[in-house]
Amino acid sequence: MTVYGRRRAVNYLVMTLSLAATAFGLAFLVLVLGTLIYHGAAALRPSLFTETTPPPGSAGGLGNAIFGSVAMTAIATLVGTPTGILAGTFLAEYAHSSRFGEVVRFVNDILLSAPSIIIGLFVYAAMVVHMGHFSGWAGAMALAIIMIPVVVRTTEDMLRLVPNSLREAAAALGAPKWRVVVTVTYRAAVQGMLTGVLLAVARISGETAPLLFTALNNQFWSADLNAPMANLPVVIFQFALSPYADWQTLAWGGALLIAVAILFLNIGARLLAAWSSFDR
Amino acid sequence: MNTSLAQVLPPEPQAEPAAASLPVKVEIRNVNFYYGKFQALKNISLVLRDRQVTAFIGPSGCGKSTLLRVLNRIYELYPGQVATGEVLVDGRNILAPGLDINLVRARIGMVFQKPTPFPMAIYDNVAFGIRLYRRLPKSELDDRVEDALRRAALWDEVKDKLRQSGLGLSGGQQQRLCIARAIAVEPEILLLDEPASALDPISTQRIEELIAELKSDYCIAIVTHNMQQAARSSDFTAFMYLGELVEFDETERIFTHPRVKRTEDYITGRFG
Amino acid sequence: MATEAELATAPRAVRGERPRGAAGDALFRALTFAFALLVLVILGGVIASLVEGAWPALRHFGLGFVVAAAWNPVTETFGALAPIYGTLVTAAIAMLVGIPVAFGIALFITELCPVWLKRPLATTIELLAAIPSIIYGIWGLFVLAPFLQERVEPALIDSLGSLPVVGALFAGPPLGIGVLTAGFILAIMVLPFISSIMRDVFETVPPVLRESAFGLGATTTEVVWQVVLPYTRIGVAGGILLGLGRALGETMAVTFVIGNSHRIHASLLQPGTTISAALANEFTEAVGDLYLSSLIALGLILFLITFVVLALAKLMLIRLQQQAGG
Repeated sequence: MTVYGRRRAVNYLVMTLSLAATAFGLAFLVLVLGTLIYHGAAALRPSLFTETTPPPGSAGGLGNAIFGSVAMTAIATLVGTPTGILAGTFLAEYAHSSRFGEVVRFVNDILLSAPSIIIGLFVYAAMVVHMGHFSGWAGAMALAIIMIPVVVRTTEDMLRLVPNSLREAAAALGAPKWRVVVTVTYRAAVQGMLTGVLLAVARISGETAPLLFTALNNQFWSADLNAPMANLPVVIFQFALSPYADWQTLAWGGALLIAVAILFLNIGARLLAAWSSFDR
Repeated sequence: MNTSLAQVLPPEPQAEPAAASLPVKVEIRNVNFYYGKFQALKNISLVLRDRQVTAFIGPSGCGKSTLLRVLNRIYELYPGQVATGEVLVDGRNILAPGLDINLVRARIGMVFQKPTPFPMAIYDNVAFGIRLYRRLPKSELDDRVEDALRRAALWDEVKDKLRQSGLGLSGGQQQRLCIARAIAVEPEILLLDEPASALDPISTQRIEELIAELKSDYCIAIVTHNMQQAARSSDFTAFMYLGELVEFDETERIFTHPRVKRTEDYITGRFG
Repeated sequence: MATEAELATAPRAVRGERPRGAAGDALFRALTFAFALLVLVILGGVIASLVEGAWPALRHFGLGFVVAAAWNPVTETFGALAPIYGTLVTAAIAMLVGIPVAFGIALFITELCPVWLKRPLATTIELLAAIPSIIYGIWGLFVLAPFLQERVEPALIDSLGSLPVVGALFAGPPLGIGVLTAGFILAIMVLPFISSIMRDVFETVPPVLRESAFGLGATTTEVVWQVVLPYTRIGVAGGILLGLGRALGETMAVTFVIGNSHRIHASLLQPGTTISAALANEFTEAVGDLYLSSLIALGLILFLITFVVLALAKLMLIRLQQQAGG
């Protein structure tokens, strides 16, 4: 074969392999989502939401787990969002190139990718041990800690995108810095920041590990955040690994619910991002 | 010196009081400016007179925008930028430490090269500055907003869409919105940094007409790279080069009988 | 604060007023600073609580804890070797499988894919990253593991299992679950991260550079291999390290399919454990302070490993930004 012929053959091979790799990735996406829908659909009925987790062998639902997950996610969002936004504001508006800012960014990125089970361990030591028991509060705090670095990052990125000319125009009118940030800069970045929050919520919706030793789990209906709290991921963990068929079905159902929730949040985030570009 | 430029100037001499006797609004004394180690302004001294338009011309990088940004201390938003010297507004040095910078800035309006409407309704854009300082009853605020928009020659075009976003306006309209926003707080001095350079010729002309009208109420300083615009619209002109003030005089004198050769070279297009 | 004299010379519109909220600046700065500081406090808290919790075990076993293989709750003998081994091996498998696939996908999207397909395809691949670990876990347990047990592993044992050196890696009964399965699922989980970072980095190559290479008659493969990759190598390395960090810390997907055995086997087809899987499985049932402390010590080790990897990744990406002048 000529040199050129060989080069062409190599190129053809590499391109084919890259197509194969893409097909491989897509195939697994379809496989995972497909089996999720297939197995999870069997569990989809109204009782899934209205009944609580049953003992093995009886019928039931995931109502308490759904409630617990929603409650803890909501609390985590309420705690994590303002914290992340304010910290991100500091980084974008006051710490452009300061040493302190660099350190915070570095640490933030470490926390962003740190294993979530470690965060669970931290909250266990900090809250569960001190309180003497597992609790929904501890679970919510663990989720909040996972959420914060994501919101910090996206807030800082979005605020940095706001052109300086806008800040200057507001300052030139005599606005003190905090008013510039709150009334102009936030306004300009609000859609991006909201998108970041939505994506962060999507991220914590599926987190299991941090809840394993903070909120634990609860077989029964409970709205008491001061006690172990039922939640979808841990229930799925427990039921899926069990030998009972009806538990396993419920596990698939729960997994499908989580996937749907995450899908909606992601779609919502993208819609928000697209809508903001129409506004310009 | 150059008859073609004389054609640009108005045909008749203006029937006005001798310009040099008009009151001084802003006196710039020995101002130096540094971006870090780089000195961008070298010992600038000149005066801006009340109800007059002073134009700043010069090639790119000569420091004219930098000087404008000293006048309302907007450079202080950025670390590493330092100004020395004095800028006296009505006799008081606004570069002095200890002053409330926001009050200083509220007396001096600024319009930037690129239109910068805030991401809010047209009404809220204009009311922004007013709301910083006063809590007015709605009817009074409405009047102030309408007044500012009228004076900026924008009222007729937006009066039916005050609640719409300022971002939906055309470039020329956005710039007039920024002017309305600036004059709504009734500053005494207006700083215009190449206000028409990002606009089409028709919008540019409207802005120039607007400046001619606004002159009767404000002391205006305008930076422009368009010499014809400077010759048409201003009473005084300052020519700057590489951070220095090369020549400062009445516009008519600068463009017909410049005293410094470099000024003449610039005006006749030999460089820049 | 504005003095009387200043107010007298204040703008005509505001004479007699103070600017609203002027004192707010210091307060706002302090507030945002406090929350930024909180980020550091959280990390400090994590490290402190891990060290404090691990201390009893580390003091009892000494540094030998890291290389001790025995794990026996009954005799209270604990050693981290098996979990560490499992963590490293599964992550290695994830990288071996994931990096080429991620590269292939990035290559396809940036070079081969028709323009109208780029965004949708990229978004779809990113969906792989949005799927939470637990879903991969149950999918792995109920779908992938049986499939591997029935089809793939017997074939591997028959073919590769009889080779001299490599054979030891593929020995033993086909169980479906095990180190290989866990590594494979990790590969699927990390490849979208690595792929999207590679894509972003590939797109920073100046068009003129690529065009001049193509203009010389180079094939796409050659352009990518000899121009794009060298130009982007720091970013690519950073992305790979980020993927590695994820793989090291993944919990639920691994827990479902790794088999949870504290024994170290040469064969990849046998069960094992990782640090995170051990924690997930045993923490809530651990009885005795030493057991608990040993588990926390495992957590500390995992944290240190991922910290080093993530710090390296971050440093590389920072250098990349400096290089780009950004």
